[in-house]
Amino acid sequence: MSATAVEIRPPVWRRLIGFNAITGVIFGIIGYYLGWFLGHHITGKSIAFFADIDQNDLSVLLGYFFGVSGFLIGLGFGVYPWARLRGYPPSLREKETQGTSRYFGLCTDHKVVGIQYLIGIGLFFFIGGLNAMLIRVELLRPASQVFPAGQYLTLVGMHGTMMMGMMTSGILGPFANYFVPLMIGARRMAFPRIESLTFWLLMAAGAVLTTTIFFGGFPTGWTGYEPLNSQANTGMDSYLVFFALVGVSMCLLGLNMLATIITMRAPGLTWSRLPIFCWAVVSTSILNLLAAPVLIAVLGMAILDRTAQTTFFNPQGGGSPYLYQNLFWVFGHPEVYILALPGMGIVLELLPVFARKPLWGYRLAVSGLLGVTLLSWLVWQHHLFVSGINSDLRPFYMLSTELISIPTGFTFLCGLMTLWRGQIRFTVPLLFCLAWFFNFLIGGLSGVFLSDVPSDVTTHGSFFSMAHFHYTIMGGLVFAFFAAIYYWSPKMFGYTLNERLGKIHFWVMFISFNSTFAPLFAVGFLGQPRRTVTYAHNLQFLNDWVSVSAFVLGLSMLVFLYNFVYSLLFARIRAPQNPWSSLSLEWQLPSPVPVHNFDRIPVITGDPYDYGNPSPGAIPATAPAGGSS
Amino acid sequence: MSEFAANETDYEVVEGEPPELLGRNLNSAGHLLASATAFFFLAFIFAYFYLRSLNNAGLWHPKHVTPPTTFGTLVMALTVLSAILVRLGLADQRAGRRSEWRLKAAVGLAAGVGVVVLQVVEWATMGFGPADGGYASVFFGWTAFNLLFIVGTLFWLQNLLATAIRYRNVPVGGKPTPGHASGDPGRPGHDVADPLSLVRPGLEALSFYWTFLAGLGVLAWVVLYLA
Repeated sequence: MSATAVEIRPPVWRRLIGFNAITGVIFGIIGYYLGWFLGHHITGKSIAFFADIDQNDLSVLLGYFFGVSGFLIGLGFGVYPWARLRGYPPSLREKETQGTSRYFGLCTDHKVVGIQYLIGIGLFFFIGGLNAMLIRVELLRPASQVFPAGQYLTLVGMHGTMMMGMMTSGILGPFANYFVPLMIGARRMAFPRIESLTFWLLMAAGAVLTTTIFFGGFPTGWTGYEPLNSQANTGMDSYLVFFALVGVSMCLLGLNMLATIITMRAPGLTWSRLPIFCWAVVSTSILNLLAAPVLIAVLGMAILDRTAQTTFFNPQGGGSPYLYQNLFWVFGHPEVYILALPGMGIVLELLPVFARKPLWGYRLAVSGLLGVTLLSWLVWQHHLFVSGINSDLRPFYMLSTELISIPTGFTFLCGLMTLWRGQIRFTVPLLFCLAWFFNFLIGGLSGVFLSDVPSDVTTHGSFFSMAHFHYTIMGGLVFAFFAAIYYWSPKMFGYTLNERLGKIHFWVMFISFNSTFAPLFAVGFLGQPRRTVTYAHNLQFLNDWVSVSAFVLGLSMLVFLYNFVYSLLFARIRAPQNPWSSLSLEWQLPSPVPVHNFDRIPVITGDPYDYGNPSPGAIPATAPAGGSS
Repeated sequence: MSEFAANETDYEVVEGEPPELLGRNLNSAGHLLASATAFFFLAFIFAYFYLRSLNNAGLWHPKHVTPPTTFGTLVMALTVLSAILVRLGLADQRAGRRSEWRLKAAVGLAAGVGVVVLQVVEWATMGFGPADGGYASVFFGWTAFNLLFIVGTLFWLQNLLATAIRYRNVPVGGKPTPGHASGDPGRPGHDVADPLSLVRPGLEALSFYWTFLAGLGVLAWVVLYLA
């Protein structure tokens, strides 16, 4: 039985003319100006765009709407709905065998989408990181020196929004898209076009946020609080559209992941045999699916306030800015776990491989992940402790927030017990996993200060909380992200990343990360507030220390970038099929993985962490998997 | 442009999925989408009760803000009628009464379009605007987004109906010509083993979701017009 997919390579000119990223950008620009013109036509204001941005929210929002629509149509997302509208039957796959051009348009191969995510998110992570460097340049001195206060606020807002928005898919985007189907023995995601759509929506969102600089930026930071939100200029519209698009992308990503894992697991892959990373994906996807719609709704309200003169958040018109705070954090706190849970999954997935031991307390780890998922809905008002909420409500939210440390502790316990008396191999991925424990512990413990009402009252809005969430999010998510990329690169690209450079990257990043963010706890205790361009003179030494450390942290990213480019484009050392001797299903496939993943759907007969067991379990009973015959 | 092996048999072997898999995908997606939709409108329900309890500046519900109950009732009733027709159409489809299901789905679609038209007319003719206080804001926000969801669902229904009409003469188990897949004439083969069989699971998922939306419509009617 042949499993061959025919490679069709039309001429270059033909590939450039069709639906692809170039067409998408062209259609996007045309769409933007169409919407912009329409907006001006509706409101009857001036259309002197190039001379004056004239604060026409409607024209900017319609511009973004038509621009994003045009971008998606140019990429080819309009073809299928149009065909279905006319009654043509459904199909699943598009452009899966067209060489490099697959990466620049709609492609339904989940592995291509995973790599698209990796590069696309990496690009915006770089922009967000660059913003952080500029922030630290500004804070080298106590007085304003490089940026005026307004520009500084925009810089902080862009950094925070870019990171919080784009990194929601930081692990699910590249790694879950690529590996979940392989880990569960499926040939594809449940809805391949939607999978591709989530990526391109995220890219459109990133572009929209970047254009805020043309409209004067936005002053609210990543939370977009009212009433500043309603009072801000049209740069705020970029924020609103950005986060709404991110929300749609998150929601669809969660839906697709859940549908895939629920319905497409290979025979024998029961819930109790599901790899722990897939459990983390399930947990995160539940939050994606349910929290993102609340975000979209609250941003929709804000857009209506700015364009249709509704008064959701205007107290003079019967609304309330606290409504925004409540709804934003109903999304915002689960969002924190959307960022953290995939990191936990990665660490728990990798530890058994490098400790050569089964995952300790598999069911406990799963209950920990699901417990965090559940409890994350019950804590949002701790963000409003100092906003004037009813004081009777504070104890409940304080306790519910502290309660969440129990399921989080389960995952910690399972991870540490997996390492206990293991035959540990200190590879680069494992080093990043170990760093995750250290960072996330500090992040978690400092979080207790913010969940307790008395200490939160003094630390809220200071650099203390900033240090806390960088320890949890960067220390949790980004370190796990790097563990994953070093671990799975041999499978994704077929080449191994340089080990020595990887270790240099790790140590420089780990030390500079802690050197950057640990002093910020002290800075916060000493009273420096977030989002202000000036600070007290006695804090300059600490701030300078932090800035220099941050520059070294930035440098460590360049070490990684160098390693990535050098290893994949120049050194090109072929990786063996299973360099880590993992028992997980994805490593039983050849590298690179064929388009259709499996010749025959495997039958799973054991759990994926049978290390130390003489009869391996996860290897499918009906080999062979993968490869073209 | 060709994308797969010219020999259709080869391709089907590669796909080789159990035939009910796509149906299960659609079914689970329908339920998951309903969950997401519930959380979306939860934000508006929260806003309704939050702003109502605050009544800031006494502007929650000024006296002149009276929603036209007749329009609201008609919108709700037509949504429910459309959902019921789709449910009945699904029963016909399951029983193999293909022309009956198409008829019911077409009437259901027309009722759905009627909902859209009535909603727009209601906005255009009512005696208050979105700036008239907290209730008015919630009213416009909720009904506007509800309409977006309704339009999306009608698009889904239209797709299924159009496929059923286009291939009304193909016998059960029959296939359209391969070039019809997604309307792409270059395709030499189907990548779904029996694409026309997906009408039923699609309709099942749609019917669930449309009934759910109709339920939300009833809730909106109670909260916005009666409470």
